[in-house]
Amino acid sequence: MKRFRIVLLVLVAFALVAAACSSSSDETTTTATESTEATTTTAAPATTTTAGGGETTTTEAMASLEGTTVTVFGPESSDEEAGAMQDALNVFADANGMTITYTGARDFSDQINAQAAGGNPPDIAIFPQPGKLADFAREGFILPLPDDVTATTVENWPEAFVSFGNVDGVQYGVPNKADIKSLVWYDTQAFDANGYAIPQSLDELWALSDQMVANGQTPWCVGIESGPATGWPFTDWVEDMTLRLQGADYYDQWVAGEIKFSDPAMIDIWQTIIDLWNKPGYVYAAGGSIASTPFGDNGQPLVDGDCMMHRQASFYSAFLPEGTPTGPGGIDVFYFPAGPDGTKPVLGGGTLAAAFDDRPEVWAVMNYYASPEYSTERQKAQQARKGGQLSGYLSANKNMDTSVFLPLEQTMIDIMLNAEVLRFDGSDLMPAAVGAGTFWTEGTSAVNGDETVEEAVANIDASWPSS
Amino acid sequence: MDRVIATVVGIIAAVGVSAIVFIGANKVFDLAPRRWSLFSSLIGGFSSLLLFSLLWGNRLIDQPVAATALALIVGAAAGYALSRTSDQSAHLVIGISGGVILGGLLGFFFTDAYLPAISPVTLVVSVAVGLAVGAALWASRGRKTSIIRPLLLWGSIGWLFGAWLIPTLGGGSRIEAVIAGAVLGAGIGAWVGTFPLPDHRMKQSIALGSRKYIFLIPALGFVLMTLVIPLIRTFWLGFLTGTPTQLTWTGMSNYVAIVTDPGIIDFSNWTDMFTSRLMWAGVLVLLIGFAVARISGKRLGQTVGLTGGSLSAIAAGVILVGFAVFAAVRGTISNNLWWIFAVTIFSTGMGLAIAVLSDRSKGESVAKSMIFMPMAISFVGASIIWRFMYIARPPQKTQTGVMNAVWIKLGQWSNSPTATAVIVAILILILVGILFIAWRGRKAHMPAITAGAVVVALPIVWLIYRFLGPGLGGFQVIEATGQTIGQPILFLQEAPFNNFWMMVVLIWIQTGFAMVILSAAIKAVPTELIEASRIDGASESQVFWRITIPQVSPTIGVVVTTLVVTVLKVFDIPKVMTNGNFGTQVLANEMWQRAFTELNFGLGSAIAIVLFLGVLPIMWLNIRRMQKERAAH
Repeated sequence: MKRFRIVLLVLVAFALVAAACSSSSDETTTTATESTEATTTTAAPATTTTAGGGETTTTEAMASLEGTTVTVFGPESSDEEAGAMQDALNVFADANGMTITYTGARDFSDQINAQAAGGNPPDIAIFPQPGKLADFAREGFILPLPDDVTATTVENWPEAFVSFGNVDGVQYGVPNKADIKSLVWYDTQAFDANGYAIPQSLDELWALSDQMVANGQTPWCVGIESGPATGWPFTDWVEDMTLRLQGADYYDQWVAGEIKFSDPAMIDIWQTIIDLWNKPGYVYAAGGSIASTPFGDNGQPLVDGDCMMHRQASFYSAFLPEGTPTGPGGIDVFYFPAGPDGTKPVLGGGTLAAAFDDRPEVWAVMNYYASPEYSTERQKAQQARKGGQLSGYLSANKNMDTSVFLPLEQTMIDIMLNAEVLRFDGSDLMPAAVGAGTFWTEGTSAVNGDETVEEAVANIDASWPSS
Repeated sequence: MDRVIATVVGIIAAVGVSAIVFIGANKVFDLAPRRWSLFSSLIGGFSSLLLFSLLWGNRLIDQPVAATALALIVGAAAGYALSRTSDQSAHLVIGISGGVILGGLLGFFFTDAYLPAISPVTLVVSVAVGLAVGAALWASRGRKTSIIRPLLLWGSIGWLFGAWLIPTLGGGSRIEAVIAGAVLGAGIGAWVGTFPLPDHRMKQSIALGSRKYIFLIPALGFVLMTLVIPLIRTFWLGFLTGTPTQLTWTGMSNYVAIVTDPGIIDFSNWTDMFTSRLMWAGVLVLLIGFAVARISGKRLGQTVGLTGGSLSAIAAGVILVGFAVFAAVRGTISNNLWWIFAVTIFSTGMGLAIAVLSDRSKGESVAKSMIFMPMAISFVGASIIWRFMYIARPPQKTQTGVMNAVWIKLGQWSNSPTATAVIVAILILILVGILFIAWRGRKAHMPAITAGAVVVALPIVWLIYRFLGPGLGGFQVIEATGQTIGQPILFLQEAPFNNFWMMVVLIWIQTGFAMVILSAAIKAVPTELIEASRIDGASESQVFWRITIPQVSPTIGVVVTTLVVTVLKVFDIPKVMTNGNFGTQVLANEMWQRAFTELNFGLGSAIAIVLFLGVLPIMWLNIRRMQKERAAH
């Protein structure tokens, strides 16, 4: 008798729990309807297809886009970048009567992990790291591109960039933005006033640094602080130097984990950089120490003449103080010089879009990302938001209208499109535990003098995932 | 604005639905004595509706509307049929057929991607375990009732685990799913069908007995869903490794990885603690404290006399020695312990001091409000504020951080003869005043006051020495030119004391909390006690140490345990200020980085469990004390 009662009570308990669940899901759907697509109406079951079963579909006609909504999530969060992304997406959305919402977050990497693992990802995510994209592809979180989107991508982007979105022979990513990292920013007027010439080799670069110190100037601005990603500017230095001193094959093996961080040549490269940074008078760090200076805070000292050179990627233009004249006569860039063997490798970077949901409107947006129109619109919007200055956006789309870029930006695009050797930022290709983990943190410790280079590289090797 | 409206509507809808369900549940059970068949159909319908809605919500069934509607009808019909017959065997038949249909529906509509693949071995073992549990339970209950029912129930639960829960769903066929569902349904149905037929008294007791559960279940369900289930899952995840979709069993290796990680605790420089000035200063202060305790003890006729002066000196010594130890032994665990040690002692000590000193004084409420105010600032906000205060700029620039501005200014003063002279003069005046107090204490035979004064005098002597001798503050002399330039402190980068500068943020926040709680406790000390002691000739300090402190000691216990738990979980401050760089890693941030940055949920969960085990004893102490207090009342 008592037992029967207990059973009934358990049933009621379930009823109440269910009621609680259903009411809370009501709530989430009501709040989310404006931004996310209403999955409740489509009786479609699990939206993710199993990994490996990479069956590619073809998108349907564009006519069905009317009234649809697509959400995009990415790492670009400043007003200029996120705003321009939204503007460029709006051009496509308005033409098709659909809604595309872009959300940017500075800690994108952590956020997207939580969203994907929690089963609540956006429709499209913009990955700043091909390594992360590959992880997600192997997890089965993101979907392979349909044939027509792949075709658009291949048609418009250089092979190197297309390959960054390719995982085990299957194309997942569409390049969205391209950065060139092998650049040194400098003030042309300061160089002219002192009669400095653009260095053509690493040796000339070091000689120039020495000369600047002898003249009482500080050659370098360095800052590697970047919130949760602190340390990445150091990894860029390591990668650029590796490409120059050891060549592209060594670089590829190192990125793939076949050459260890504790390789003597790698330790040499680390030591060279850290020695340069620690030489008294060689580095100006606006935040007191290199490790505590936000990488973005080095624009002002460069303009003020507190330092003469700043090695940083093309997107750095977004961090220059407002109204800074650029190009000849202002702040300009030169190519981070070639190594002893004379080849001119280029360290690139960028973002890649990948889709989490298999819907025609999602693929239509992905297709738009691959098209020249997106690059052009994005550049126009971002330039307008920057008041006609360097936009900070760069694309390697082969078929875009390059006339919307400033001459300085066109130079950078030329360097990218004509590079003999173009490699993606290595830390972005390594497993996240290293590329977004120990390479940053141990690098920071080594730069800060908390550890020796030998200790740091040993710790990185130990953290490399064994599988 | 749309979002605000949507949220408000959502909240109102949620509250409304909850209220309706709550009232509805009460009303349904009102029906039990009078309208049994309606009650029975409602329960049958609701429970099937519930099961299918849960599956629907988790996107585990296709055509959810049709499936759920069918299930609702079948459940209600079965409930109704059960109530209309008084024949035990008919009951059994109805129960089984209802269960089979419901289970079959479940299998039939189950989503393709997750169809269960039946593995005979798992199934047999699982059902056998279920049956064994049922038999054991039956035996433990004195074997009074038939063994059939527990076997049916636990056999079905075994089937549920064997067919649905243990194997990874997916890869099975439709037929397997229907079988897996129908057998489960048959078992549960038979169990329902073998209930004894309810008489009127039983119906009455169902209606009455259900009430307490109706009130309890929402809260219990909430705790279960948000606390117990995640905890169990985290515990389970701690034994797995791999990426989120390909987790595999790895046993204790995550825990082994935590223990063997060189970053977790690092004894390599532990001998440094014996060469650090902190350690020797601490030992010196401790010795003074013990000496004073011995002297005042002699006077009171005890071995040691723990008076205010001696206790303060001993506490100061313990803090210094503790800092020396934590500065030498590095690593994540050491950082966490240091946080607990420093924040708990400083927040409680300063909170108590402020509460006592401000008690019944002029402007008490204003002062306390000011000190309480940081409590209103979030950890992240406070971290950002303090980052600005700690900021360091290159020596040739003006310092924008308050701390470094002061530090550099001190450096300039100590290099300017006039400023040094003025400061040293002021310091000597203060020193003379303190020594006078010490001399008065000596004369009045109050060694505590003498000792306290001497302890306070020590840092002033040190300050005078620094100003006259090597200099104080941020400056460095460039040897080549003989020029003096400022040298800022990199508060957040220079290990190991960057840890302490971060703890200051939490101390700043939590002192207000400790003060408010302790202040209330002090005000609650009965005035009769204090007046009685005054009449007996107790001095102000005796009243404090012998009346107030013992009276508020339970409250101090509450404050300390609350602080320890808060501090052990500290995450926001290291995350915002250094993100664990520069040797400031703490467990909570380590967990975040492993789980969410590197997507290594296994290791992240294992760290979470370690953290949980750390909090557990303190929670246990807290609960024990609360129970004792309740027993005392």
